[in-house]
Amino acid sequence: MQETGEKEYILSVLAKNNPGVLLRIAGLFSRRCYNILSIVASQTENAEYSRILIVVSGDDRIVRQADKQLCKLVDIEEVDILDPKKSVVREHLLLKVRRTPRNSWHLVQIAAVFRANILSVAEDFMIVELTGDAGTLNSLIELYSPYHILKILRTGSMAMAT
Amino acid sequence: MLLTGAQIVMECLLEQGVDTVFGYPGGAVLNLYDALYEYRDRIRHIRTCHEQAAAHAADGYARASGRTGVCIATSGPGATNLVTGIATAYMDSVPVVAITGNVTRDLLGLDSFQEVDITGITMPVTKHNYLVKHVERLADTLRSAFRIAGSGRKGPVLVDIPKDITALKTEFTPRRPEPFPAADLPPDGQLSRALAMLRSSKRPFFYCGGGVVSGGAAREAAEFAEKADAPVSCSLMCQGGYDQSGGRYLGMLGMHGTKASAEAIKNCDLLVAAGTRFSDRVLCNAGLFARHCKILQIDIDAAEFGKNIDVDWKLQGDVKSILARLNGLLPQQDHAGWMKQAAGWKRDFPLRQAGGPDEVTPQAVLETLSRLTGGGAVLTTEVGQHQMWAAQYYTFRKPRHFITSGGLGTMGFGLGAAIGAKTAEPEETVVNCAGDGSFHMNCAELSTLARYSIPVVELIFDNRTLGMVRQWQKLFYGGRFSQTDVDGNTDYAKLAGAFGVKALKIAKKHEIEPVLREALSSRGPVLIDCLISKDENVLPMVPAGGSVEDPILEM
Repeated sequence: MQETGEKEYILSVLAKNNPGVLLRIAGLFSRRCYNILSIVASQTENAEYSRILIVVSGDDRIVRQADKQLCKLVDIEEVDILDPKKSVVREHLLLKVRRTPRNSWHLVQIAAVFRANILSVAEDFMIVELTGDAGTLNSLIELYSPYHILKILRTGSMAMAT
Repeated sequence: MLLTGAQIVMECLLEQGVDTVFGYPGGAVLNLYDALYEYRDRIRHIRTCHEQAAAHAADGYARASGRTGVCIATSGPGATNLVTGIATAYMDSVPVVAITGNVTRDLLGLDSFQEVDITGITMPVTKHNYLVKHVERLADTLRSAFRIAGSGRKGPVLVDIPKDITALKTEFTPRRPEPFPAADLPPDGQLSRALAMLRSSKRPFFYCGGGVVSGGAAREAAEFAEKADAPVSCSLMCQGGYDQSGGRYLGMLGMHGTKASAEAIKNCDLLVAAGTRFSDRVLCNAGLFARHCKILQIDIDAAEFGKNIDVDWKLQGDVKSILARLNGLLPQQDHAGWMKQAAGWKRDFPLRQAGGPDEVTPQAVLETLSRLTGGGAVLTTEVGQHQMWAAQYYTFRKPRHFITSGGLGTMGFGLGAAIGAKTAEPEETVVNCAGDGSFHMNCAELSTLARYSIPVVELIFDNRTLGMVRQWQKLFYGGRFSQTDVDGNTDYAKLAGAFGVKALKIAKKHEIEPVLREALSSRGPVLIDCLISKDENVLPMVPAGGSVEDPILEM
């Protein structure tokens, strides 16, 4: 249910690895009423810095504001708004689905179509993992849905400009 | 040299040129106060009655002087009591460094006695904050705090120091603060586009915000108004940033701005807005603001462009340097017809308060005060009707002479701010304009005035009601005056006397001038109880959602 003009933007933020930096970013988004769809943070090749990927939903004006307000935070070094068409975007999914002797073959077939890895198989469930863009992950989830999904874990989007 | 953390704090304050701090002692800052005792001949400490007033005093000190203000509070409630003051400074971009004590590092995070996560609490209302966990980092952290507070768009920074850090010793090397790097000027291409807009404008209108004051750009702004041959309006935060005694000045713009400014914004073809963030109290209805003109915005903060309103062209950088550059490049403009039209509005729509022949009106009091002080006093204010009257009726002539909580609208701000302003600028006459509602929020600080013999005039507009709220209740709530009558039992003379402050009273019109004269010539603090009618309103007024071009002139 998106309003007109609202779409998803990916902000790639380079921040000093100081305590509380994630809280500063999250707090800024919350008090200025920007919507975070997902957030992924981890150390960069330089341990003094973290790279934080934030997927935001909003219109162009809100994203420009988010960019400029982020730039004012002392711990933030750089903010890039990534163009999804000129970036590699990847998410990681872990999915636990109910397994029965009758459906097992179907589950394996679906995983094979997506080149998803089967990480664990037990008598009554199976765990698969898949890395891909959000659309691919959504398709896999949709195809597994009729078999009773027990649990889903999903990272937010990671993205790198090409 | 080997110093304790507390001594390092003192040395860093001295490095930054701090001569006065405002604060309140407590358990977690015992070491800091012990060091203050040791350094008492070099750093003056003013103890307020409540930490909130210490924060407002640091803020008032900074606004009056342009130097960064410093306040100190203990952990827990001491720190949380600063929060309103810090938020006030944040909203008005005032450079303040707040130093709080905290529990020792081994007790952090254990819900210890008087422990509070003050860095977490103040994150949204500071430019930045620090929790110091290593004494070796203390000096550089404080230096960064002063650099962040005083550079770019200014603002408060909080440094939280656990008690054991102030006791630990480490090697300290003094370092002179480096001057802040100047903000870049916009590229020539951007300036020439702005110049083209100015040259093609037939009816330019120059509107200054608080950035003109905090950026020290008053002289450049005055020259720009001449060069562009434009009428001038100022926001609440820029009262005094432009000399209001001049013919170009049309009065304030916004919710309680003048009709002349409203006409100018309706009829101009170019609005040049310098150092302003287009607050909702100025825009009123953003969709109806300045629809018939182009807007050229000058600001140091990139995030202010396109935040509340779209503008046609922007110049990002230091307002003083940008105006100076424009002044150098812009040929003298001539808009005689437009200036004549603006002068006509100013003549036809003066600010006027009705009142009987013997009635004490705020207008009469403030115009008399303005005349007696030559427009040269520092006026601090609380928040409400009296604040707007002070902005409307006092003729400010110099920057840093009107000190008010514009963004946060903090009742209880003024008396603390007056303590700070008078401490920073002892040669200036300082008057705190208060309402009786705001006065009751912070009246204990009268004892601070008395204890340190700070000659501030506390001028209370006593209408026995919370006038601004009452005005809204009258206009929009059918006169249902819910909880706005202030109990009239306070005997101001007795209260002032109890604190050791001289008390005067204005009840009749003919008393205005002699009482103000007596107060202004007093060597100590004075309280004036100035009785006014409950039904005085602040006019003009733009009702919520209305257009700034169309204020209510009577009610």
